[in-house]
Amino acid sequence: MAPWQGLTNNDTVDFDVTWGILEGALREIHAKNASKLSFEELYRNAYKLVLKKKGEELYNRVSGLEQELLRENVRSRVVQMVTSPLILGASGEQVGGQAHQRRADGERFLGVLKNAYKDHDICMKMITDVLMYMERTYCQDQRHPSIYAMAMALFRTQVLRSPATDQSDINVMAILESAILDMIAMERKNEIIDRPLIRACICMLEELYETFQEEESSKLYLTSFEPKFLESSRIFYHREGQDLVANADAGTFCRHARKRLREEDERCQQTLSTLTDQKIKSVVDKELIGAHIRDVINMEGTGVKHMLDNDRLEDLSNVFDLNSRVDPKKAALKDAVQKRIVSLGSEINNMSSGAVVPPPNNASEQAKKEEGEKDKNVNQQTASAIKWVDDVLTLKTKYDRIWEEAFKKDSNMEKALEYSFQEFINANQRSSEHLSLYLDEYLKKGAKGKTDLEVDANLDKGILLLQYIQDKDHFENYYKKHLSKRLLQRKSASMDIERQMISKMKMKVGNTFTQRLESMFKDMALSEDLTKQYKTHVAELGDPDTTRIDLEASILTTTMWPVDSMVRRNEDGSTKTACIYPPVVENARKRFEHFYLKKHSGRTLSWQPQLGSADIRATFTKPDGKTKRHELNVSTYAMVILLLFNDLPADQCLSYEEIQARTSIPENELCRNLQSLAVVPKTRILKKDPMSKEIKPGDKFYFNESFTSPYMKVKVGVVSNAGSKAENSDERRATKRKADEERGTTIEAAIVRIMKQRKHLPHQQLIAEVIQQLANRFQPDVNMIKQRIESLMEREYLERGPDPSKPSYTYLA
Amino acid sequence: MTVRSTTDSTPAAGIDSASSSTSPMTTPSPFVTLISSDGFEFHVRRSAACVSGTIRRMLNTRSNFSESVTGVCHLENLNAMVLEKVVEYLYYNEKHKESRDVPDMEIPSELCLELLMAAEYLDT
Repeated sequence: MAPWQGLTNNDTVDFDVTWGILEGALREIHAKNASKLSFEELYRNAYKLVLKKKGEELYNRVSGLEQELLRENVRSRVVQMVTSPLILGASGEQVGGQAHQRRADGERFLGVLKNAYKDHDICMKMITDVLMYMERTYCQDQRHPSIYAMAMALFRTQVLRSPATDQSDINVMAILESAILDMIAMERKNEIIDRPLIRACICMLEELYETFQEEESSKLYLTSFEPKFLESSRIFYHREGQDLVANADAGTFCRHARKRLREEDERCQQTLSTLTDQKIKSVVDKELIGAHIRDVINMEGTGVKHMLDNDRLEDLSNVFDLNSRVDPKKAALKDAVQKRIVSLGSEINNMSSGAVVPPPNNASEQAKKEEGEKDKNVNQQTASAIKWVDDVLTLKTKYDRIWEEAFKKDSNMEKALEYSFQEFINANQRSSEHLSLYLDEYLKKGAKGKTDLEVDANLDKGILLLQYIQDKDHFENYYKKHLSKRLLQRKSASMDIERQMISKMKMKVGNTFTQRLESMFKDMALSEDLTKQYKTHVAELGDPDTTRIDLEASILTTTMWPVDSMVRRNEDGSTKTACIYPPVVENARKRFEHFYLKKHSGRTLSWQPQLGSADIRATFTKPDGKTKRHELNVSTYAMVILLLFNDLPADQCLSYEEIQARTSIPENELCRNLQSLAVVPKTRILKKDPMSKEIKPGDKFYFNESFTSPYMKVKVGVVSNAGSKAENSDERRATKRKADEERGTTIEAAIVRIMKQRKHLPHQQLIAEVIQQLANRFQPDVNMIKQRIESLMEREYLERGPDPSKPSYTYLA
Repeated sequence: MTVRSTTDSTPAAGIDSASSSTSPMTTPSPFVTLISSDGFEFHVRRSAACVSGTIRRMLNTRSNFSESVTGVCHLENLNAMVLEKVVEYLYYNEKHKESRDVPDMEIPSELCLELLMAAEYLDT
């Protein structure tokens, strides 16, 4: 069969002639005279050549031609634009001033290079079209790279990698890169550069590859330019970071860092390539931010501490962002914030404890003289306790706001804040007492006149503080004490709010806490019912005795109420307080007791006169014959004392000893009550002889007929009695001791519970479990736990495990 | 093998000789002329003609070869008989571009060989 001749019409084809035509045409294309050419003719010629098996030679001739053209025309044009500053720049020497000159040179050079590339690109595309047949058949068969790829590679070797001048061996590529880097450096100093020009050159770099295999990673951009760019950026930012830290303040540093980040982002979008985006950002992060952020945060005078104090939310959120870029845990920022909170908190702690000088513990003779002073100090202490809570809450609100707005509710920061709050709150020994006093104040007075929402919010804040406090059982004791006083003296602003408080506590802190508190409430409710029942009972008895007294009784279950704080135990340990009541009162009392015991047999009632109060209607006869009536509200003891004077003729008196004998009131109570009745100016219902401020044995008391008061109802307060105040150091110690005892029993209960379940546990694990179980109430001391274990072993609840080297315990049933 | 055709997006517009004024880029007429070796002229719609890769590249307005300027292609290799069938095929292809299972076009057997070569030449 004849060789494949295709559509050649049997012309003999002479290679050189045909090639001549083609070569001429190619040159014309390069000279931009394509319109004079006929595509078809060229295509046909190439077609013929390929059919004649001259494909390979055609290919070689074409590449030879391209090479020649590139070398002669293009390169020379480009090299012309190379000036000495550019060469100096490329060789790495620092070129001083002449920024303008350099930029102008650089721009011209880039421009020429860009145009050359563009032209080359277009021409090659056209040539590829013409030689399409060859490509399709020859190149594919022989697996040669396409003409286009070959041409581009030639461009790379002939132009870019060729030496820029005859003397040096810096190639054009290097000059290009250094010019671009130079311009970027200028832009970083806020000069304007020609961005599109640079972009075009970068595109060129992106489109050229190192080898014929056009794989992504071997782009010239990535292999050659990008590393240099990253390196020069690193140096730049390194220096800039150092400058800024030395000269600028924290806020400026952060703002500047943000600006740079944005700038680099823009640069990647517009000038360079998005491939570099992540990498340059990480360079900035590392050099500018990472190296210096800690210093910035801790900067004197303008660092985070200053920002926190002055509520510079924007600066803080800048710092936060920057820190999170380099450190997801934001350790530096966290440290600074925590330190600040703890130091502020300690200040608050110091303020509250340092404000008051605790009174020295003197012998009892001076005790009464100093009662006045003590009272003042105690009052001050109460006030400062309340202030402490207020201060802490203010601090919390402030930092919450900062957390929300500047730290974007980051959970790491939240934990850090919580931790530091806990730290300083628990560093203060008296925090549970303070909190309870604060709530006491609030529940007594503060809730009036506020909307439900406000009240709710305030209670929530209180609960929040409670959650931070570690020694919750201490708090429970204080709260019980204060609550009992409130309930008994009817001082709460509203029972609803009290109940609200309890339910909140239950929700947040748990049941065990609120059980006893709730039963206190129940007792009060029961007592009200009981009193009503008693009244009906009495009415049913018929006998309308005008001298009958209205009795209101509150029955308190001993175990639930903080009895010890209210009641003084006698020597025999009983809680009954002796008091001889006047006959009318005694009758009423007996009747009630009878009534109650009938209802609940098997119980005993012990009357607590020191907690009660009485309303007396008193008639005062003036010297001019007029009578004035007043209603006096007095404590039970005072009532007993006053009734003594009922059967006394006007000018007779009772001496201190007599009163004591006839009422059996304990001495200190007696003194206090007599003071309030005879010494306190506004309520001088009794006249004292001598008129001194102290009550001494031998004093005589008369009923004061000339007592006057602008009010009808007069309340006789008892000196330094019932209000909930801060404890002095004695009381505090006593409370602590009691609390420790209680803790001991709780720990023992927990140990027994655990061991019963597990039967056998190693020592360390037992301790760990106990701590975990009790975490909600308080932080048990490891030594205490050990002591309790020992005591349990003595009492034969536990015994030591068999292996002496591994301490462990077994439960004994 | 990657074929870079001039119809792919090129950032630069077609270049023309630096000396002459740039020819105004008027919207090309919808019809082009294909001329066979024996001088027969076939007016075909541009869209149909461009089914053939070679003709498409020839008429590419960006490359500014003479054919694209004038809208006339001299196909010296093909005689009228062949070219006629080719044109028919171009229309057939364009008409049925979207549908599948298209029945083959009718081709007289004596033209087969030449049509085959034409197809190869014209990249279609």
